[in-house]
Amino acid sequence: MSETEFIEELKSKSEKAYSKLLDDFQQKVYATCISFVPNTEDAEDIAQDVFVEVFNAIHKFKGQSKLSTWIYKITTNKCLEFIRKKNTKKRFAFLQSITGNVIPMDMTNYFTEMNHPGVLLENKETSKTLFYAINQLPEAQRTVFTLHKIDGKSYNEISEIIDKSLSSVESLMFRSKKNLQKILENFYKNNI
Amino acid sequence: MKINMNIDEKVSKTLEAFDTMDTVKTPPFFKDKTMQILFTEKEEKVAASFWSWFTPQLQLATLVCVVLVNFYAIKEINNSEYESSISTFASDYGISTEQETSIFNF
Repeated sequence: MSETEFIEELKSKSEKAYSKLLDDFQQKVYATCISFVPNTEDAEDIAQDVFVEVFNAIHKFKGQSKLSTWIYKITTNKCLEFIRKKNTKKRFAFLQSITGNVIPMDMTNYFTEMNHPGVLLENKETSKTLFYAINQLPEAQRTVFTLHKIDGKSYNEISEIIDKSLSSVESLMFRSKKNLQKILENFYKNNI
Repeated sequence: MKINMNIDEKVSKTLEAFDTMDTVKTPPFFKDKTMQILFTEKEEKVAASFWSWFTPQLQLATLVCVVLVNFYAIKEINNSEYESSISTFASDYGISTEQETSIFNF
């Protein structure tokens, strides 16, 4: 079956086509989600949301890009949306701490509650610091860095997913590495 | 100097944490759960389509109509000309309510 035929099957909401779609993409979509959101339950919820979005929006897919690119685009947007919501809640928690309903600071930071099954036990603390540092990066840099370094996508794939040129992706990656180094240096300086 | 070297070492060790990260497998029954969500939602949508013609615009227009009709009715009830014509009509047919209580007289 060609990709066009497969997309037509998806548009006609065929159960068989969605079963195949899940077989082909569940691993990749979940891996991307867990790269952005290092928590199994949340990553699972986001991955499910991605397939629901594909189901509801497939009629809008015009085939200008590959189906996989379109799905990764949805995945990335869903993950960033989730992180934005988490950060808003974090700010609200800070306001609560001012008004007297004190929440321990660790509980207000999502990335200190890390539950990534791919992280080895002895690296848990280091990975926690790393995810915390990645979360401090500007959104565009965080996206490129996560997709390349954690999810293992190539620069070409990333440029298609985020609709930016190859040189922009390279530049974002370079800046993200520099910033991450600075953030980690400051972190360790303050925690000696 | 030694502290700086220690920090650099820690930074590079932290950045190397990616290389030791294992690939993550999808949770068990992920496919089944997702398929259930997808096709249950589809059924719900079919059931909901009965009211699909009653769009928010139509709902708003209906609400505006109801408010206007009510407004007109209240205005007419409060109108003395309307009241006198009603009382003439009532006395003509012997159904005057002057001695009786009515919710309109409260």
